[in-house]
Amino acid sequence: MTRADEIARSRGAPVESDAEGGSGFPEPPRRLPSGARRFGRLRSFFRGFFFGGGEAAEGRRPRTTFGKLPGALTRTLSGVELPPMPHVREAGFPKARPPRCSREGRRFGFRPRKPRVPGGEPAWLLPFVLCAVLLLSVLPLARLAGAGVNGLVDGEAARLIFAPATLAALRNTLLTATGGMVVSLILGSLFAFALALTDIRGKLILSFAFMLPMMIPPQVTALAWVEMSGPASPLLKTLGLAPPLGSPQPLYSLSGIALLLGVQHAPLVFLALKAGLAASPRDGIEAARLAGAGPLRVFRDIVLPLGAPGLIAGGAIAFVSGVGNFGIPAILGIPAGIETLPTLIFSRLASFGAATFGEIALISTLIAAISAAGLIVQQRALQGRDYRLIGHSGARAAFSLGRFRVAVEALLWAVLVLVLAAPLLALVASSLVPAYGVPLNFDTMSLDAYGEILFRQSITLTALKNSLFLASAAALGLLAVTVPAAYLLARRKGALAGLVAILIEIPYALPGIVLAVAFILTFAAPLPVVGVSLYGTIWIILAAYFSSFLAVSLKPVVSAMLQMDPALEEAARLAGAGFFRRMRDVLLPLVAPAAGASVILVFLIAANELTVSALLWSAGTQTLGVAIFNLDDSGSSDLAAALSVLVVLLVIALMTALELLAKHLPEGVLPWRN
Amino acid sequence: MKTLLSAVAATLVAGLLSTAAHAESLVLYTSQPNEDAQATVDAFEAANPGVEVEWVREGTTKIMAKLMAEIEAGNPVADVLLIADTVTMQRLKEGGHLLAYKSPEAAGYDAALYDADGAYYSTKMITTGIVYNTSAAMKPEGWQDLAKPEAKGLVTMPSPLTSGAALIHAETLAAIPGLGWDYYKALAENGATAAGGNGGVLKAVATGEKAYGMLVDFMAIREKAKGAPVEFVFPAEGVSAVTEPVGILKTARNVDAAKKFVDFLISEEGQKVAVKMGYIPARNGVALPEGYPARETIKVLPVDAAAAVKNSEAALKTFSGIFGTN
Repeated sequence: MTRADEIARSRGAPVESDAEGGSGFPEPPRRLPSGARRFGRLRSFFRGFFFGGGEAAEGRRPRTTFGKLPGALTRTLSGVELPPMPHVREAGFPKARPPRCSREGRRFGFRPRKPRVPGGEPAWLLPFVLCAVLLLSVLPLARLAGAGVNGLVDGEAARLIFAPATLAALRNTLLTATGGMVVSLILGSLFAFALALTDIRGKLILSFAFMLPMMIPPQVTALAWVEMSGPASPLLKTLGLAPPLGSPQPLYSLSGIALLLGVQHAPLVFLALKAGLAASPRDGIEAARLAGAGPLRVFRDIVLPLGAPGLIAGGAIAFVSGVGNFGIPAILGIPAGIETLPTLIFSRLASFGAATFGEIALISTLIAAISAAGLIVQQRALQGRDYRLIGHSGARAAFSLGRFRVAVEALLWAVLVLVLAAPLLALVASSLVPAYGVPLNFDTMSLDAYGEILFRQSITLTALKNSLFLASAAALGLLAVTVPAAYLLARRKGALAGLVAILIEIPYALPGIVLAVAFILTFAAPLPVVGVSLYGTIWIILAAYFSSFLAVSLKPVVSAMLQMDPALEEAARLAGAGFFRRMRDVLLPLVAPAAGASVILVFLIAANELTVSALLWSAGTQTLGVAIFNLDDSGSSDLAAALSVLVVLLVIALMTALELLAKHLPEGVLPWRN
Repeated sequence: MKTLLSAVAATLVAGLLSTAAHAESLVLYTSQPNEDAQATVDAFEAANPGVEVEWVREGTTKIMAKLMAEIEAGNPVADVLLIADTVTMQRLKEGGHLLAYKSPEAAGYDAALYDADGAYYSTKMITTGIVYNTSAAMKPEGWQDLAKPEAKGLVTMPSPLTSGAALIHAETLAAIPGLGWDYYKALAENGATAAGGNGGVLKAVATGEKAYGMLVDFMAIREKAKGAPVEFVFPAEGVSAVTEPVGILKTARNVDAAKKFVDFLISEEGQKVAVKMGYIPARNGVALPEGYPARETIKVLPVDAAAAVKNSEAALKTFSGIFGTN
């Protein structure tokens, strides 16, 4: 017990229990001085972006990792009598209390007093994390905001915003994002309700398969669907189901874009909703059932009210993701002359270059504003609601479907076949035919496309090399920032930590295209002092990746740090271990699995990235996403399909690797697991 | 942690080295399709061992935007440009961005096919004609056929905003009496679409989403040879043509290799590479690839390059006004 806690208790304040320290970011304090409260709100705003937020973990006790300590340290801890220290007097091992203030203590500005033991938090830690956050988040965003404001002051803004092309793009963006949101809500809630509440079989595999579309790059999804529908689909031709000549490709339309956005982002709704439902009170449902309420009544009166905030939040995230999506409207919209705001930025920059920096800055601020509006809705949905409910969760299914079980299972599998298996099969089929419009059979089938992209096209290898370099450099390099940042966030509470957490999350919450524009504006001119320009090099892409994926990388590590018993580190500190020593011998071994997951997650997302690199690539710095996009653009759809198939295989392999790591990971890190 | 750090360091160093290495090699910006660009580069590298070519492919207008942005930033990456049309090259020459290099191979060419100062050399002839899906009801013979009711809603074409060849094509047809911008208006009223590049047109027609399209010759002829259900027509009124010129940037870092590259492309050997890929060669005395009619039967519509440079802005505006594209 810390001294601040003691003071607080003496004032009669309840002491917070350990139990609420879930696996998400540090909980926003409930009552704080106004400035800090604002940070807390903003933070919960962006929190939903972590694969649906950390609510799922509420109410769970932190897992003690004591038993996994390296042998030597365990022996030391268990065998050695430690000197009595006032602040660990009541702690004992392994059941210790995190050095926290009570609410009352915080209100009066108390902080946990740092014990005077060698080497607490090193002095460089906070400045280091702050500098990293300033460079990766504050600087580019401030530059973008500045350019936006300049545009407004110029008076150019009104002219540009009301230009027909911009208005049409704005309208298309809103229409497709809203339509996508509706599709996401339908698909996501179907799966969330079925998986969280009923007794269907094969939940893990269903969940894993349903999460796949989110992990597959959007432009690959779009290509796969184009190959599946349309008059020349090798799949439909082979089956003899192809529509007649002149039938328009149905996906090259606003509703096509909306449909695919819906499929791509349905997992977001699924995750947000499942998190809320997982905490729903089984006891309450059972009690209602015993009292004679029918399943529908239970659903309406208990489940739906509990699910509503998750549903609204999930819908808002799906909407925001739809607004920022580039791959799907680029593949489906550009051939049909349908522009959304992100593709408008892309084509402006691609066709008119640097002259349009001011314009694209304004359009990106427009996107950022729409995203912010969506995030505010999400935050409102979650505001003032407390999910923590009494009762057992996750123990038993609330509804047993009885004879409908097979029907529901069939429905779910049918949906998966339609949205996942069929498009991917079509993609494989079109990678095997030699030219457009050729049906797939044993005579026409060939692996030439794979041979071409793997052995003849230097561009594939360059792209592969770049993507692997960017993904591994981002994934590993980010650990250098995230481990100290996670340590800081787990150990410190209060406004500053809250601010750091928000600043880390903002770039991830913003659409990639906005971030890319921010980085162009920041780094187009040569860097001061060294005089080297990053624009046009691979380093500007890497910098943007660092910024964009910082939050992804941080989440598992912070979860692990929070679930770790602080007593371990305290003990090491008492035994005289300095910061680095503690890091090496105590913390790192324990967070290693989470760090591994963080590396794979960032790698997975970065290797498939298109939006940021589409704007930032240059000679020799193409990424896989850009290569696929470009192959399709130049009319080589068989090559684009073949490369896409390889990328999907890579995604599945990485996801499987994560799944195999799962039992070593803190809870809530893998989005498709409960 | 240590292994982690060293891994990061190693990756970063590897990245740095690869960037450094790429500065040594020849950088080519081209608008050829990926497969052709790769084949061209491979043939050149085979003929000139020791020179490594790094290439970037995009539509001509996109490549130009990238290049102009780089020039503005004071750091043009490209050494050599191989893009669709002489109009764009002429504009670069007038802007003082191209290196004058008199290639000894130019002797085998008509004077009209290269710049007198040596700023750029035509490497092949790419005509734009009509492609149709073999299951289409009508067999189009001339440009006017695409405006007929039978083709309503079934025509597509590349956008000049993406493709250099499409810009020249539009400017050429617009200058022909009897066609002109009115022809494009008639097409638009007939439900024709214009978006993306030639690749998109090929895809739309071969897949049967559209029945007719305006397309560059080699794509259609090559795809037909691979088994795609398409046919190419040289329309009765004539075809427009671009010549895919190559030029060296003044700022080229690797001038010697760049000169070798130009020489190779217009040499007899280089021209045979182009023929093998299915292009009409620019050099005299090299036979046309299979699938083409005899050279003298192809009627090429005239285009005034100087006027085209001057009018291209206006042409783009008129075109996007008619088709409402960006």
